[in-house]
Amino acid sequence: MHGSGAEISREVFWNILGPGFPTEQVLLYVLVVIAFLLFFHGLARSGFFTRMKAVTSAQGPDVERVNNAWDRFMYMVVDVFGHRKILREPYQGVFHFFIFWGFIALAITTAIVFLQADVIWPIWHVWFMQGGFYLGLSLFADVFGLVAIVGILMAMARRYFMKPKWLDEKGEDKVILWFILAILVTGFVVEALRIQATETDPASPMNPYIWFSPVGRTVAFLFSGMSMDALRDTHVVLWWTHVLGALGFIVFIAYSKLLHIVMTPVNIFLRPDTPQPPIKAMPPEMFENAETFGIHKLEEYSWKDLFDSEACMRCGRCVEVCPAFNTDKPLLPRDVIQNIRTYMEKKAKFALDADGNYHILPDEEYTGPALIGDTIEKDTIWACTTCMACVEACPAYILQFPKLIDLRRYLVMMESDFPAEVLDVFKGMENNSNPWSIGAHVRADWAKGLDVPLLSEKGEAEYLFYVGCAGAFDDLNKKVAVALVKIFKAAGLDFAILGTEEGCCGDSAKKIGNEYVYQALAMANIETFKAYNVSKIITMCPHGYTVLKNDYKELGGNFQVFHYTEILDKLIKQGKITLKQPIENLGVITYHDSCYLGRYNKIYDQPRDILKALNSGSLVEMKSHHAKSFCCGAGGGRMWMEEDLGTRINQKRTKEVEASGAKTVCTACPFCYTMLSDGIKELELSEKLQAIDIAQLVAKAAGLDQKTDKAGNENDQEAAN
Amino acid sequence: MNTVVCIKQVPDTETLIKVQGAGIVTEGIKWVMNPYDEFAVEEALRQKEKMKAGNVTIVSLGPDRAIEAVRTGLAMGADTAVHINDAAYYDKADPYATAAALAAAIKGMQYDAIFVGKQAIDDDAAQVPAMLAEMLGIPVVTMVIKFEVAADKSKATVTREIEGGQAVVEVPLPAVFSAQKGLNEPRYASLPGIMKAKKKPVDVKKAADLGVSEGPKTAIKEMSLPPARQAGKVITGDDAAAKAKELARILHEEVKIV
Ligand SMILES: Cc1cc2nc3c(=O)[nH]c(=O)nc-3n(C[C@H](O)[C@H](O)[C@H](O)COP(=O)(O)OP(=O)(O)OC[C@H]3O[C@@H](n4cnc5c(N)ncnc54)[C@H](O)[C@@H]3O)c2cc1C
Ligand code: SF4
Ligand code: SF4
Repeated sequence: MHGSGAEISREVFWNILGPGFPTEQVLLYVLVVIAFLLFFHGLARSGFFTRMKAVTSAQGPDVERVNNAWDRFMYMVVDVFGHRKILREPYQGVFHFFIFWGFIALAITTAIVFLQADVIWPIWHVWFMQGGFYLGLSLFADVFGLVAIVGILMAMARRYFMKPKWLDEKGEDKVILWFILAILVTGFVVEALRIQATETDPASPMNPYIWFSPVGRTVAFLFSGMSMDALRDTHVVLWWTHVLGALGFIVFIAYSKLLHIVMTPVNIFLRPDTPQPPIKAMPPEMFENAETFGIHKLEEYSWKDLFDSEACMRCGRCVEVCPAFNTDKPLLPRDVIQNIRTYMEKKAKFALDADGNYHILPDEEYTGPALIGDTIEKDTIWACTTCMACVEACPAYILQFPKLIDLRRYLVMMESDFPAEVLDVFKGMENNSNPWSIGAHVRADWAKGLDVPLLSEKGEAEYLFYVGCAGAFDDLNKKVAVALVKIFKAAGLDFAILGTEEGCCGDSAKKIGNEYVYQALAMANIETFKAYNVSKIITMCPHGYTVLKNDYKELGGNFQVFHYTEILDKLIKQGKITLKQPIENLGVITYHDSCYLGRYNKIYDQPRDILKALNSGSLVEMKSHHAKSFCCGAGGGRMWMEEDLGTRINQKRTKEVEASGAKTVCTACPFCYTMLSDGIKELELSEKLQAIDIAQLVAKAAGLDQKTDKAGNENDQEAAN
Repeated sequence: MNTVVCIKQVPDTETLIKVQGAGIVTEGIKWVMNPYDEFAVEEALRQKEKMKAGNVTIVSLGPDRAIEAVRTGLAMGADTAVHINDAAYYDKADPYATAAALAAAIKGMQYDAIFVGKQAIDDDAAQVPAMLAEMLGIPVVTMVIKFEVAADKSKATVTREIEGGQAVVEVPLPAVFSAQKGLNEPRYASLPGIMKAKKKPVDVKKAADLGVSEGPKTAIKEMSLPPARQAGKVITGDDAAAKAKELARILHEEVKIV
């Protein structure tokens, strides 16, 4: 059958083809065609096309996900083949990498064999699969096949021995690994049987090169005692088993999470191209015109929101990192996505007409399960801290928590249905422009006696110091605001504050789902900023930072916004502040990454550089840090809600501080500062641990605070009041 | 069930109050609906929702700005409103004149109950409910924390708060009910509610249009703020025992109360 001159090669279809007409070869290709037909049939049976109808009927705002197609494509290629996100988790990253590349290599090998045996040889009678190329290919396939087996075994070890609690366990999960292992093992056994039959004889021209199939050769030792007939008979049976297994795998993809092989790359192509997960502002004119706000029906999502769930392979990485899940709250981001997927099919049953077309039923006609309540529970919706850990972790670039914000918007703006504690927060923001509900007229009282320049008096300044509600109203965080103005003044920074003209940034309102109040607050600030021709803004709070910098743009506010850590880092590096005094009693220090500074805005280094510049204690990292940092529990408006489900997030983080061996945990966010200070008190760890904001440490090291108590807290006039 | 709710716009509890002669500086003040009136609006809405019929009418005496409080009530779900927009009358109005204007506005209406707040948190007089009822010639029940109405709307059974306990009262309708905290949890107006409120009818009247002739019976001569709070004292000491001892000493020797 194959090139007669090719001695260093092998016969494709050895022992399979009978004499004469290549019946078996034809049968094989008929089977391949059947497998692909069954694959598409499987897609239909597993509800894929039904779900796609729901996706294409989505009425939510269209989202741009195919612009810069070439860049998107290249990003996808690098991500898929390089495992950029997958490898962030070393263990599961590596085993997926092994399985992936094992399969790619075997697919390449199969394609080469196909080209040789079924295209090139029949048409041109050229046999290129010989000599060094053949040996290389042989070695390549063997090594990568083994790599794939190692990957599968590692995955099995995780599933059966390590059993992380966030790992999903469905019927298919029990089968898939064994299925793949069986295909790989039968592949090697078939190879070994062929080697035993055709290459172990020293007279065989292939014999000197037998170890170019190291795995096959090794396995062949098992069959050394078998007769040629037995070898051939076993080989035929196992060859067909292997082939049927591989074809069955193709069909199985359609029915199982293995569909991610196709859908995840598509979703990577369609990924959002903003650094922050988009939580789009509702167009202001909508408030006047729309009948309904937020989302309570499936089809109100955008097509991309619905499509996301196709790409989810239930890997559980989002669950692993979710602070709500990790403190026993009923929120698993994976399940939010999976429930939307199941719901698409359920809802389609009610919405498919006689022609099989999906049409949207009016509320009165729809009798199926509801999106809010039946599909995603209210407790789930409110448990999210918007920490972004899920989005950051997801290898399929799925936006999990933004889908919850849409549901919050419906609950808040349509139903006035939110945790009771939040009512006062909304009223505080509406009436006094701060969530603490403290009189707006005392917003600048923290600055009394400090001679802080007011923009209304100064007229203009290079920087507006936007203090934010925490710095203005919360006793603990007023100390941070005080420290900052002392530093700015000492460094000769040209800055001013707005005083009582400042308003709440609106982040909590936005993330709780009150887009109406958020936009009112944001617009008021934008107008004030514009009235003073403000161009550069320093914020104390990462939440204000992210909305002023990123979200105000949607409402026409374009400002250059800096977090104070960016400014302090620069001032220190420029020598404008000298950190001359070592700070006593700091002990080992650790830095707690604020979600809104780190994951949202990629500010990881500046706070750490500042801490290193203090020269006052070694810096250690906690178990989770940088992009994987664990939330303090206050984001997403959770700061204002009771935490009565599960355990407390701030305490879990405080325990991580303790476990790091640090004595001082440094924060750069007022919410984190509050939550960790509370965590230390709640766990009665005040003897061992202390929380302090970076700004206070810098002020102290620069000799700018008046008195210092033993905990290293500022204890000057303003702080004591 | 048709109900009328009287609401007053008052300064937000957190806002800065500056006294000027016999009144306060009104610039820069954040105005809100009197918190007790929110309970009144809420109760009227709940009764309407329970009976699945009826109208809720807001009545408010106040200057131009009071329309915001009226709109808040409409946003919560009230159907119509009467705004007695008469700054001259309002500026001099004492509880008597206020009740007279409200009574004149309500007189011709069809109603089964009138809900009011137990007191307005600005001048704290708590007199309007009783005077209003008297002027309309109907009963009044104050400090209501639970409200139930008979199916035929002939009478209501209400629970009122009394010192150290509660009392259950039965009263024929129509009657005036003043709402105390605890009656319900006032709703947060939904966004469609806020939008719809902008289009709901508000009947704007002057006191004279209502035929109110009687003037106030009392006049405010002077107002003053309470003396500023003295700075607190932080008791320091090595441990709880030492601090407690020091506290006992201060209470005994300096404050001389124990
Ligand atoms: C309506 C209400 C709302 C509440 N809200 C909150 C809340 O939001 N957050 C919260 O954390 N707790 C809240 N609490 C709980 C309340 O703060 C605690 O009951 C209180 O802190 C108990 O302190 P203690 O155990 O020291 O009491 P006790 O020692 O029994 O105090 C009794 C009295 O002794 C005096 N006293 C005690 N310690 C001192 C001191 N150090 N200096 C001077 N005098 C002193 C005071 O007169 C005090 O009233 C609330 C309680 C109520 C009733
Ligand atoms: S944003 Fe954070 S809390 Fe919310 S679902 Fe994602 S990981 Fe969980
Ligand atoms: S949403 Fe993403 S991270 Fe979560 S299970 Fe699905 S694929 Fe994995």
